[in-house]
Formats: sequence, structure tokens, C-alpha cells
Amino acid sequence: MNKNLYQPINGEIIDIIEESPTIKSFVVVPENDFKFETGQFVELTLPGEGEAPFTPSSSPAVTEKMEITIMKAGRVTALLHACQKGQKVGIRGPYGNGYPIEDFVGKDVYIVGGGVGLAPIRSLFLTLVDRVKDFKSVTCRFGARTPEDFIYKNTLFGSWRKIDGVDIKLTVDNADGKWTENVGVVTTILSPGDVDIKNSVAVVCGPPIMMKFATLKLLEFGFGDKQIYLSMEKNMSCGIGKCGHCMLGQYYVCKDGPVFTYDQIKKYPNIWD
Amino acid sequence: MQTVFVNDLEPFLSAVVGQMDVYYPRKIDSHYVFEKYNSSSNRKLEINNIRACTPAKEFLFPLRELAAVFPEPLEPRDIRPFAVFGLKDCDLRSIEVLDKVFTEKDFEDPFYIERREKMFIITTDCSEPAASCFCNVMGGGPFARDGFDLNISQVETGFIIEAGSKKGDEFLAKHSQLFSEAGNDVLSERQKNRETAQKQLEENNAELKFDAPVQEIVEKSYDSDVYDEEAATCVECQACTRVCPTCHCFYLYDTKQKDYFGKMKMWDSCMRLAYAQVAGGENPRKVLGDRLRHRFMHKFSFFLDRYGINMCVGCGRCVDAESGEVDIREVLKKLSQELLGKGGKKAEVAQ
Ligand code: SF4
Ligand code: FES
Repeated sequence: MNKNLYQPINGEIIDIIEESPTIKSFVVVPENDFKFETGQFVELTLPGEGEAPFTPSSSPAVTEKMEITIMKAGRVTALLHACQKGQKVGIRGPYGNGYPIEDFVGKDVYIVGGGVGLAPIRSLFLTLVDRVKDFKSVTCRFGARTPEDFIYKNTLFGSWRKIDGVDIKLTVDNADGKWTENVGVVTTILSPGDVDIKNSVAVVCGPPIMMKFATLKLLEFGFGDKQIYLSMEKNMSCGIGKCGHCMLGQYYVCKDGPVFTYDQIKKYPNIWD
Repeated sequence: MQTVFVNDLEPFLSAVVGQMDVYYPRKIDSHYVFEKYNSSSNRKLEINNIRACTPAKEFLFPLRELAAVFPEPLEPRDIRPFAVFGLKDCDLRSIEVLDKVFTEKDFEDPFYIERREKMFIITTDCSEPAASCFCNVMGGGPFARDGFDLNISQVETGFIIEAGSKKGDEFLAKHSQLFSEAGNDVLSERQKNRETAQKQLEENNAELKFDAPVQEIVEKSYDSDVYDEEAATCVECQACTRVCPTCHCFYLYDTKQKDYFGKMKMWDSCMRLAYAQVAGGENPRKVLGDRLRHRFMHKFSFFLDRYGINMCVGCGRCVDAESGEVDIREVLKKLSQELLGKGGKKAEVAQ
């Protein structure tokens, strides 16, 4: 009998990090080493309760544990937020395509992210900076609602900015007294001079509305449809291109994505919904 | 492969029952459902003139099944061989669709494959296609050409049984004492019956003519208002997707049992409002018309692109089951006419 592809492997939550009022990171140790490519996703099961798709936020170079950053958004994520260390979970995957890192080599990598969209981006970022010399630059433009809402605060405001070849700018919609950086939506910190557009790729990940306006802005700057990589969030269930839930036009987001170029999906209506 | 003849099907049925579980059709009012053979009930075998109203997918991809267990993994079980008697050409072609999805090499569904391997398919010719049958328009017909283990065709004096697979051929060889030779007279009678059924289908569907391949029609009509207009008559009962033999949407959900946690796999419907909704509340197909469009695009365009075959076999179950007024044939007709109206395909249509 064939392997049961619906059966998760067992895992355990060994640590929980409060990132923001609504977002936590869970450090999960799978029973066996778990390999994935940055940008791929896993289905995380809370046994007896439910399953939901997440892109790990940790580096794929680490296989004995992974980090999954989760925003409290629905029933399953609320239950996960209520979990304690030691909680047993199930993991299926990895599924889908990752970011085509090799195609980024030699280019400016322009990363635009917002909110919990920084989770997949963190994994990508860690992958890129491992070999940062292979890229012309890693240029990041991140936004959050308030300074409090930024996740990965320690590294974002600290060590990541000290890496050679990395340029990070941040913005918030609403500042508090201590905030010294930009105030405004993420598109207000995008500028055509940030990167050499002809020799760049852009990666966009965040809430749908942010992805929409960031993409439009990039197009306005002269980015080609094929230069913009979008991480699409869909209601994934099986993760293996069968159940139909994640369909975006002809694509199974779980299998053909979750990373798409804008060119691939632009013809479908409601891609941002 | 052998083709044989019997006067009476009962000994044949007993031979099948001797080897495996058997599901055979039972008539309820004007339609058929499958029922498991039970030696004590002694119900005689009858030949269903058309497909049962329930889809063949039930035998391979049940409404609900246990797909995973915690903390000890679920080992897919071996199941007993079973025969389904009275499937039709449209059923076979629907199984072909499901095979594409569930036996795909990168992600094989072990539960599906186990059942598929254990299934013994006995088809029968359709004697009187129903008003809702339009298989001839979708590349099928009132009798099976391949994909069956055994096929039965009724003639005046008895039944012709034809093997369509090694399994079927071995069965006939093993029970050869039950059968006699199928002579040319009965074979030509079968031929005549098949032609009559085919003609009947063509007459029933004389109006259902398209001026371009269906894929082209739905692709070019992507923005058509027909979907919203049709959706206005849909009551969202989802019956169309339940009875559809090729629809295979499902979802996985987790349950707590007394001594284990389970993950269930259950049929779903792309016509359901929250079907594509994500946890944050966004939903690309909030509008019913968009869901209907997606269903047509999946059936007639996306699936074809990916797997090379159409996802509609023309069995007409959705037409019969529909509680609202959406008729898949009428929708296609309207889209096609609308396209014609736009002058899209006029030239080729003249004859
Ligand atoms: S659709 Fe065709 S194959 Fe199916 S029952 Fe009707 S006539 Fe038979
Ligand atoms: S999640 Fe099931 S098909 Fe993509």
C-alpha cells in the first residue's frame, strides 16, 4: 500500500515567541529532519481541531526545527495562539514551489512586505543573506500598522541592518512618540531609485490590499510583469492539487504556487480578494 | 478478449458473488441506486436502462472517510475486492477523470488507489437514454468501448458478455461452463440496439450543437453575464456537485474521537459560499455567478489544459438533480449563442 499522503508527521512546539499583540512565532520540532525550500508551505495540524497552511519563517538551512509565525485570524489560529510549549502538532508538506532563488542571482532583490507577510520574507531573507554576495543587493521595504505590530523586532531594528549588501527601510501607518522612521503606507517608501529596475526582481508579500497597491506601484516604476513575485494566500486544504480549494483561475495555488509572477495571474479577476 | 453468451444472468451473478462483494442497481420510482448484494434478500438482477442517479465516485472516493490518525499514523487498509454491476459508458469516463486526479504520480491517494485496484467494473449498454443524457455531445455514447472488466448487452434471447480487461477475461475463462458462444445473430442484434440508442441520443440532443469546441466557448465567454443571470435561478443546494461523477472537491477536517484524533476527508462543493474564503475573510468568489463561472471554467477549460480530458461526461445527473433552474446544457447553449451574436464564429457555422 502506498504512503498515506494525508498523514502528517508528528511534531512538538518547543518554544513560543510573542511577536506582536496578534502574532506569535512557534518553534516546532518535527520527529524527523524536515527539508523545505524557502517560500514553500506546510500544513500544520492541531490534532482534533484543524489544519491550516503556513510558510515557515525560518531558514531552510535548519532542518531539525522550524519556525512558523502565525497571526490570530480564524478559529484554528486562535486555538494555536492558546497553545503552550509541549503541544503536539502534525506537519504535512512541504508543498508548492519556493522562490526561484537561482533566478535572483546577480540582481537587486527588492522585497516589499507588510504585517504577517514578513513571515515568508524572513525565511527568504535568511536564505539570501547566507550568500549575500551572489546578489547585487537585498533591498527591503517593510510596513506595519504601528511600531508594535512589527514582527521580528530584534533583528529588524538591529542585526539585519548591519549586513553588507542589505538595505532596509520601515514604515508604519500610525506612529507613536518614539518612532523615528517613515509614517505612511508601504508604497510611500518605495522609490524608483531604490534599485536598478532593469536588473531587479521584486518580491511582494503581505495583506492583499498592500500587495495590490505595492504591485501597481512597482508596475508604475517600470517593473515588468515577470519581475514581480507574489506569494498568494489562498484557502488551502489538501496542499497537493486535488481538493480544489485554492484554485486561482487555472492554477492550484498549493501546487503551482504559492509563489507566482504577476504575469501568470494578472488575467484573473479578484486576485487580491 | 472473449465475448460470450448466456440466457440467464443469475448463475453469472452467483459466480461474481462467489468471488467478491457485489453492488447492483435497484429501481426506486424512475431511477436507480446501487445496493449491496445480500444473499438473504434474493433480489433478482435487473439491467438499468441508464446510469444510476448516484455517481460512481462513491465507490472510489466516498462521501466521508478517515484519512489520517494521531498520534499513531493510519495505515491504509486492504479492502475486499468488489464488483459494481450496471455502470455505464459515462460512469467509465468519469472514473477516467478521477484517475487523473487521484493517481497522479507526484501525489497518489492511497485510499483511492486501493479501491480502484479492487474494483471490478461490470458495465451494461444503455437501452433507452434519458431526456437528460447528453453523453454523445461530450464524446461518449450509450455503450462502453473500453475501461470495463466485463460489459453486458441485453438481446432478445439473453445477454452478451464481453471482456474488456485481463481480469474480465480471466473471469470468463474461469467460469466458461456458464457460457456459450455469442453467435453472429446476437452480435448483430446488439449492434442494432446500440445504433437505436445512439440515434435516440442524437435526436434528444439535436438542439445541442455548438459552433466551436466547448473549451473555446467557455474561454471566450469568460466575462459573459450569462453566469450571473443563471445564478439568479440557483438556490445553492449544491446538488449539482454532489451528483456530478467528476466533481472531486473535498476538504480535510479534524475530529476528536474517544481514543484518537482523526483527520477526515469529505466531499465539498465549489458552489458553497465559504468554499474559497481564507481565514482573514477574503473570498475571491463571494458572488454566486463567479462560483458558477469557476465551475464551468474548471470543467471545460482548466481541467482539459492540465489533464487533456474534459471534466463533463454528459451524464445529465446535474440536470435531473437541480432544485433551481440551472441546466448545464442551456448554459453552454446560451454562451455559444452569445458568442455567435458577437460575430465570433459565424463563418464556420453557415452549413
Ligand atoms: S449519459 Fe450516455 S452513457 Fe450515461 S446513462 Fe445516459 S446514455 Fe448512458
Ligand atoms: S489546497 Fe487542495 S487543491 Fe490546493
